[in-house]
Amino acid sequence: MADDVRSWSDELARDPASLVFLPLAEALRRQGQLDLARKVATRGLERHPHNPEAHDLLARVHADRGDLQDAFDEWDMVLRLLPGHVGAIKGMAFVRFQQGAHEEAERLLVQAQGIGEDADISAAIDTVRRSSGVVVSVESLPPDLPSDPHLLFAGLLTNDQTAMLLTKDGLVLAGAYYAADGRDVAQDVGASLSGVSDEAFRATRHLGIGAWRSIIFEAEEAVVSLSPARGALADGGMLVLAGAPATPLGLLRRLLDRCLTRVEAWLKAGGGTGLA
Amino acid sequence: MTTRFTAVLDALIRQRGVRASLVVSATDGIAIDSNLQIGQDGSRVAALSASLYRKARRSATAAGFGATGFMQLEAESGRLCLIGGDELVLVVVAERDANVGMIRVEMLRSAEALA
Amino acid sequence: MIKTSVEPWIETPLRAFVLDAGVQLALLLHPSGQVLAQHGFVRAVDVMSACALAAAIHASSSELGRQLEGKPFRGLHAGTGRQIFLAEAETARGPYIFLTVFDQDSSLGLVRMYFEELQTNLASAAPPPVGPQGPVLSANFEGELNRNLAELFGRP
Repeated sequence: MADDVRSWSDELARDPASLVFLPLAEALRRQGQLDLARKVATRGLERHPHNPEAHDLLARVHADRGDLQDAFDEWDMVLRLLPGHVGAIKGMAFVRFQQGAHEEAERLLVQAQGIGEDADISAAIDTVRRSSGVVVSVESLPPDLPSDPHLLFAGLLTNDQTAMLLTKDGLVLAGAYYAADGRDVAQDVGASLSGVSDEAFRATRHLGIGAWRSIIFEAEEAVVSLSPARGALADGGMLVLAGAPATPLGLLRRLLDRCLTRVEAWLKAGGGTGLA
Repeated sequence: MTTRFTAVLDALIRQRGVRASLVVSATDGIAIDSNLQIGQDGSRVAALSASLYRKARRSATAAGFGATGFMQLEAESGRLCLIGGDELVLVVVAERDANVGMIRVEMLRSAEALA
Repeated sequence: MIKTSVEPWIETPLRAFVLDAGVQLALLLHPSGQVLAQHGFVRAVDVMSACALAAAIHASSSELGRQLEGKPFRGLHAGTGRQIFLAEAETARGPYIFLTVFDQDSSLGLVRMYFEELQTNLASAAPPPVGPQGPVLSANFEGELNRNLAELFGRP
């Protein structure tokens, strides 16, 4: 390791624009040379201000030094440069947890979990909840169903897809919808879309083409599909699934079916009744 | 009588499983031109599809999805496909097992005629 | 308290129309101008003037249609933002005039479609006429109108 540090230092001296400052600062951080690590990372960022990994590295150095707000700001910068960066979201959650903002920490962790399955994140969520005194009863849910309603569709969707389950009144029962800035806007989106199911119901009733199964529309920002929920929510409940504009419609249809099946299992197991 | 939409509607009705093709006023829900198979109620299709189209467009904008393009309502025994702009909507009523991919391509191509 | 209809059998079909078509105002009246049912009006005086205007428009447009095409015009539509639709509904008790006002939340297509349903529902709900209908005398008309308005708006 010492040899590596020396060789990276030499290389950086020869070529100050080299990206070798990244492994160098990381090695220094791991060795506990936090001031030096911060200096190397900061100088590297002067040459590469739009490099998200460099901001992520500096954030970790700040966090190790106990400069939590500086760390948070650097991770925030990472998200601006690279929306959906799981490491940055987890880092921000760590900062908020350390600052005692458990609710926001949990929200960030849930967001990170929605982007990619990760056992560490699940454990972190449990830790945050235990710390904030929230007791989650998962006894009634099968082990393959997540206990957190926000995560109902985790594992089914990629990071450019999102799904949520709405009640007849347009309220969000499960799932999430994150805006580019990381805010969960599920409730707003759900309320905006809820009236479409009434129109679908009306059209199919008067045209005599049977009950409606789905509406898919291609929009500028997303391909969106709506489908009536089955089982306990059959009376007006609706599943909303959105993907990136380039998502093939056939794939969206298939994902919709999978999400509906999960919703059915979740509702059958008591999800949405306050147990989950 | 031939209108500027006749060719578009004829091309759509020739697709397998298509029962009706219409050009509808988006705001009034009235059929401007149509090609209907026997048993299809053009005025009813026009009123309901325009209403669905307007609602979906408004909702999509409110939800931040931006302007909408092709739309499809799938039901147990049929489909409604829609595409349009502020004033006109091109509507296709098709059977459930119709080739919606082909219909979509034809409608996207035809949508220019509505502009 | 504002009631919807003077005669109970009109209540359900009219409510269904208003809900389904998403209109703002609806008025059912006798061709003489006497109000039978309303939805959305808050003042008796507005109903009174709407009835008078609707009866007059219906009478003149029907006559114009007869002279131009040999039959009365069926269904009159006007406006762009706020729109009106005026049409005749035939029942066992004779023809009634129907007037509705709607905006962009509904459409002419929907209003026409649900008006067809309203016609059917009114025709099936209407009880048979009781005795011969006498001519509407001016004095009777005024008294009937006021009685109906009082019934709808709960005023003496």
